[in-house]
Amino acid sequence: MSVLRPLDKLPGLNTATILLVGTDDVLLQQLAGSMLKEDCASELKVHLAKSLPLPSNVNRPRIDLIVFVVNLHSQHSLRNVEESLHHVDASFFLGKVSFLATGAGQESHCSVHRNTVVKLAHTYRSPLLFCDLEVEGFRTTMAQRLVRMLQICAGHVPGVSALNLLSLLRSTENPSLEDL
Amino acid sequence: MEKQSEEQAAAEPADSGGEGGPPQVAGAQAARPEDRMTLLLRLRAQTKQQLLEYNSMVDANEERTPEQIIQEKQIEAKIEELEKEIEEVKVAFEMKKLALDRMQLSTALKKNLEKMDIKTSALMDNMKQILNLNKLIMKLQQETWDLEEKLLDVRKKRLQLKQASESKLLEIQTEKNKQKGDLDSMENSDKIKNIQQNLQKEIQITTVIQHVFQNLILGSKVNWAEDSALKEMVLQLEKNLTMIQ
Repeated sequence: MSVLRPLDKLPGLNTATILLVGTDDVLLQQLAGSMLKEDCASELKVHLAKSLPLPSNVNRPRIDLIVFVVNLHSQHSLRNVEESLHHVDASFFLGKVSFLATGAGQESHCSVHRNTVVKLAHTYRSPLLFCDLEVEGFRTTMAQRLVRMLQICAGHVPGVSALNLLSLLRSTENPSLEDL
Repeated sequence: MEKQSEEQAAAEPADSGGEGGPPQVAGAQAARPEDRMTLLLRLRAQTKQQLLEYNSMVDANEERTPEQIIQEKQIEAKIEELEKEIEEVKVAFEMKKLALDRMQLSTALKKNLEKMDIKTSALMDNMKQILNLNKLIMKLQQETWDLEEKLLDVRKKRLQLKQASESKLLEIQTEKNKQKGDLDSMENSDKIKNIQQNLQKEIQITTVIQHVFQNLILGSKVNWAEDSALKEMVLQLEKNLTMIQ
């Protein structure tokens, strides 16, 4: 399967799967570790990938949330994410995709401008989160946020859907009326 | 390349065999004891939510093809209608979101105020500053409004004066034209012609009389240069009367 579709498989009982896409292996591992340490009533599964498309021979569960990790220190990670975005079906972007920009703390090392990522998130109408994944405290907080988002996207929180969350996460800086 | 890592972060549900024993703990996780009823209810809520999601996706992907062939113009009109609907929904949604944000903000503010000491908080200072600024803004706006009113009055007066001067100039011009017209008409009237003819006749008669007197005086061979009164009269007779005309 070359394109990821959100609802082509049945969900596993009490299971929520998140897919982290990014070039920095170490950071992704650390983030995955922090997420799994979180207290959560449902089973969490974390998949890591360097880029899409994913190999089709593996039997994997339904993916509920994709997080594209962009390291602001390297252009390569941005290009990797941009290419991977082509392999995601459009219906995924209804709240089940999120962008995470890391490395904004060290301004001197940043080769990707913050605005580039902001525009990318705006084009795909998805929320953009900033986090310095190398700092333990920030990573734990971000892991908590991601776990909560994952629960909502997997449908484990009654009354809130991924689309609801998407409209709630729209900040007043980029109002959705702009699209009119 | 893909990697997988799995871990159970919560208690494993008890076997359906009904053991009901203590929950299994995986790794170094703290056990979260959850009895079967709670688990089942939670799973029920989850499944309901997931079913809702799938249903809404199915509804959204339904395609309804029209049965009859509709003309292109009607299709365009329909498209416009639909676009209008979408825009209206978007606007309504934005309004609702704003209202929701406002409500959230006001409840948070209320809770905050209940907790904090009213007199010495930065929040109260901010609010007082906001009130002062608002008063200032209102005052300045009032002043601006007054000045604009004055400006408007002055402009109105200027316009009125301009219009008055225009009408006056127009009157002057019409009067001048009338005068010129009268003058022209007068020159061509018969009365003047008669008067002119009479004038000519009189001048001729007077010239003849002048010549008669001149010849009388010259014929009498009187030395008119000596007597000043006679000299004056002779010189006067020399006056050419046609120059008067």
